[in-house]
Amino acid sequence: MDIAVLVKQTVDMDQIKLNDNNEPIMDNLPLKMDILSKNAVEAAVQLKEKYGGKVTAFIFGTERSTSTMKEAYAMGVDDGTVIKGYQKSDPAVTGAILGEELKKSKYDIIVLGDQSSDSYSGLLAGILSSELGLNVITNAINIEIKDKTANVTVESESEDVTVETELPAVVSVAQEINEPRLPKVMQIMAAGKKNINIIEGKPDYKDDSRVLSDKAPESQRKKIIYEDGKGIDEIAKILKVVK
Amino acid sequence: MKALVFSDEPKNAREIITYLRGKMDIDVISAEDKELPEYGAKKVYFYRDGFIDNLSKFLVDYLSKNKYDFIFISSTNTGRELAGILSYRLKMKCMPEIFSFEQGDKTVTKRFFHGGKTVVEEESNFHMFTVSPGICEAEKSDKKSEVENMTLDKSNYKIVNVKSKNTAGTDIRNARVIVSIGRGLGSQENIEKIKPLVEELHAEIAGSRPVCLDYKWLSEDKQVGLSGKKVRPDFYIALGISGQIQHIAGIRGSKTIIAINKDKSAPIFEECDYGIVGDLFTIVPELVEKLK
Repeated sequence: MDIAVLVKQTVDMDQIKLNDNNEPIMDNLPLKMDILSKNAVEAAVQLKEKYGGKVTAFIFGTERSTSTMKEAYAMGVDDGTVIKGYQKSDPAVTGAILGEELKKSKYDIIVLGDQSSDSYSGLLAGILSSELGLNVITNAINIEIKDKTANVTVESESEDVTVETELPAVVSVAQEINEPRLPKVMQIMAAGKKNINIIEGKPDYKDDSRVLSDKAPESQRKKIIYEDGKGIDEIAKILKVVK
Repeated sequence: MKALVFSDEPKNAREIITYLRGKMDIDVISAEDKELPEYGAKKVYFYRDGFIDNLSKFLVDYLSKNKYDFIFISSTNTGRELAGILSYRLKMKCMPEIFSFEQGDKTVTKRFFHGGKTVVEEESNFHMFTVSPGICEAEKSDKKSEVENMTLDKSNYKIVNVKSKNTAGTDIRNARVIVSIGRGLGSQENIEKIKPLVEELHAEIAGSRPVCLDYKWLSEDKQVGLSGKKVRPDFYIALGISGQIQHIAGIRGSKTIIAINKDKSAPIFEECDYGIVGDLFTIVPELVEKLK
């Protein structure tokens, strides 16, 4: 079967420092595969290992995204396309760009991460499913394929619900679905030599929203800190109201 | 001004209505909930057996026939799926995950960005938003809503299995007091050592991402943080939690945060009301004694 996996490259958010104005310094940050994209790649490769077929990855990114595609190759992705032109988080634009590319390719299932770790928007699965006219199931913790259908297990508060859907379908995965593999050195070396299909995207970003500020939120907390084992009496007093 | 609120989790619908009340007229579409008509919406529509296909079909039809200035969708799995579909089908852009909404000539919204590290404040002419759970504390209004039950088409999705999870049956988002544990606890066995505090305070136990996902000392539904649950208890007691930004993003709604950690430079001390620097295994028993 043909498995498409959508991969996002983000800056390494743990490395973001703030300037004196509490704004993030975004220059020269290392790039990496987004956490949930790793789960998506792992899920896609596991499906291939279980049911046979081929995994094709798509990244809407920049010329620097080839490093992330190589990471996906090392994890077991067979073929990859990097669409250049990504400028900012805008699910409508990302959906249009990826949708256009997917319409040209063959797939039985499209796998992606549920919410990427920079914006947590989580809108892409719904947008793409509409664009491609497919069923959508999000936040999957298990995927099983049977012929032309898939049983997808989704987690809710109190229960795990397994839903049957026709294929092709768009399935976004939760981090609980798997433990992404760490590729071996040989696989990383081999991945470096593989061809990456690079194409020029024409994203239609509109001037419809404007960032007024982007700052680390200031803490309104009291910040009364006790050291040397002190403070237990005070905290007990505060907590007494609970009782 | 008129808004439509959608949520498959009535608890979130109550919050959103409370947040918007007084600023505009509100109609709500929600899963059934006895109390929801007491929160001041004009009209409440209840649905049953909602799946993404029959819900999105209903909402596209409904929104094509009924004009609203704003659409607020609670950010749950279903909510985000719906927002994506509606955004595409109705050709309306959606501003995701907002926790603040102000309306003047344009709308000004706030949401977390860079994994919770910053808050972006954006000005836009968007009419659709997903709303981060916990936007405010839900409060009843003296105005009762008109209630209508609606019928959805049959869904094409089929539920093939439902497995109840082995959770204590409590949702940490409803807890008044939370004792939350981090890596600093050292091991799963050590949970026993902090149990007396949990019991003394009738608290719920929760944990950071590593504790719930990597080490599995607690089940996943107890994970607090940006990718877990956002909680807003009266008291959040963080034991051995360093306070990574993703964790902080999940506890910002807490009224009072108390942190105990042996590392003086742990970021949690920048984000707490009261903190004790020290060994939690000596402090917690003493605290329990004092509380008795």
